[in-house]
Amino acid sequence: MMKHMHKLAAAATGALLSVRTFASSAAPDWVEETFYRSGKINAVIAVVTVVLLGLALWMFRSDRRLARLEKRMNERSKG
Amino acid sequence: MKSWWWKAVGVLLLLYVVIVGLHTPLAPALVHVSEDKLSPGRADVLVTGYNTRFTADAPQAWLENDDQFVCATSATAERDDRLRVVFDVPAGMRRDLSHLVVRSNGRTLVFHDAFWNPAKGDGIAGTGCTPPEEDSAEVFEFPDRSVLYETIRNLFFHVPMWFTMMWLMTVSLFHSLRTLRDNDLEQDRAAVSAVNTGLLFAFLGLTTGSIWARNTWGTWWTSDPQLNGAAAVTLIYLAYLVLRGSVNEMDKRSRLAAIYNIFAYALMIVFFMVLPRLTDSLHPGKGGNPAFSKYDLDHHLRTVFYPAVAGWVLVGTWLYTLRRRARRIEAWLDDEAHA
Repeated sequence: MMKHMHKLAAAATGALLSVRTFASSAAPDWVEETFYRSGKINAVIAVVTVVLLGLALWMFRSDRRLARLEKRMNERSKG
Repeated sequence: MKSWWWKAVGVLLLLYVVIVGLHTPLAPALVHVSEDKLSPGRADVLVTGYNTRFTADAPQAWLENDDQFVCATSATAERDDRLRVVFDVPAGMRRDLSHLVVRSNGRTLVFHDAFWNPAKGDGIAGTGCTPPEEDSAEVFEFPDRSVLYETIRNLFFHVPMWFTMMWLMTVSLFHSLRTLRDNDLEQDRAAVSAVNTGLLFAFLGLTTGSIWARNTWGTWWTSDPQLNGAAAVTLIYLAYLVLRGSVNEMDKRSRLAAIYNIFAYALMIVFFMVLPRLTDSLHPGKGGNPAFSKYDLDHHLRTVFYPAVAGWVLVGTWLYTLRRRARRIEAWLDDEAHA
């Protein structure tokens, strides 16, 4: 009986302690983990990507425009 | 290729901006505390840092409330970015809010208004807590502002878009005025090329701003005078292109577009410089918010921000001249075809 009591007491203390440590550690949630640790660097990568893609798009359009002009020029010199 | 040097300068400036702007570390900062209220008695607080190295030395922590200090009974580093601080909070602190200060690796990190103090009084009796002296070691790094974090670097890729856009619209206005004075179609081509290129930068400004807003304000778009003004100006200049497209006669088109352009420019000034300052705005530099140039834009940011503005303006001007030259050849071919 005493043995059991010891075990019970130990388990109860263990449970209490674990609850206490759990409460006091207040593990940060995932928002904290992801936001605070990454520092939102993804937003910077996204912004730089958008700027580069925008410039690339512009250059492709200029390229097509010049190709059109070259075509007209060639047609003229032929005709 | 006549006078190419300024184009090289623009590219080199942007190269510098990308390297230094993305490589410079953010200053260490305290970003989160597990408790927001400190009642008198023992308080166990978990402090989250960013770019901190709490385990590298023995950090010291204290509370600051109306120039009175309460030193932590213990400060234990659990991780480089996590510090467990225990306070024996006294009653009677004078202010509603206390700052949390952590001294780590020779740096003083302040979390302003970290805790609410529910037991206000006439001040605390001497706690025997004297914070260590601050040193003035200067490190090249960017400030870590709340909600911004690393996105403070977007300053170099979002704000100059609008500077470049406004510069190109100014160029366009200049050529529109000359169109009216000289009746010169080359001036008209310059004006429309500048608006074309300016609109590219307006779209880049809108998109980058939207991404930045999502990551700091939590929304892609919000009904803010600065944001709506930017959208309105973009639409006004799009309407300039629509107007041009709707008139076939070249002389008439150039004069009509030039006159519209003057009004468009005036509206841009009103929407960008006047209206947002008259009302409240979330956007920095507008409404009741501090400008980046006031204290947010510290001298480390400036050493990258000014080259960024210059670099983008130069590259924007380059794109504009390319478009203008292409238009000139196009017009020549058109004339030849008609002749």
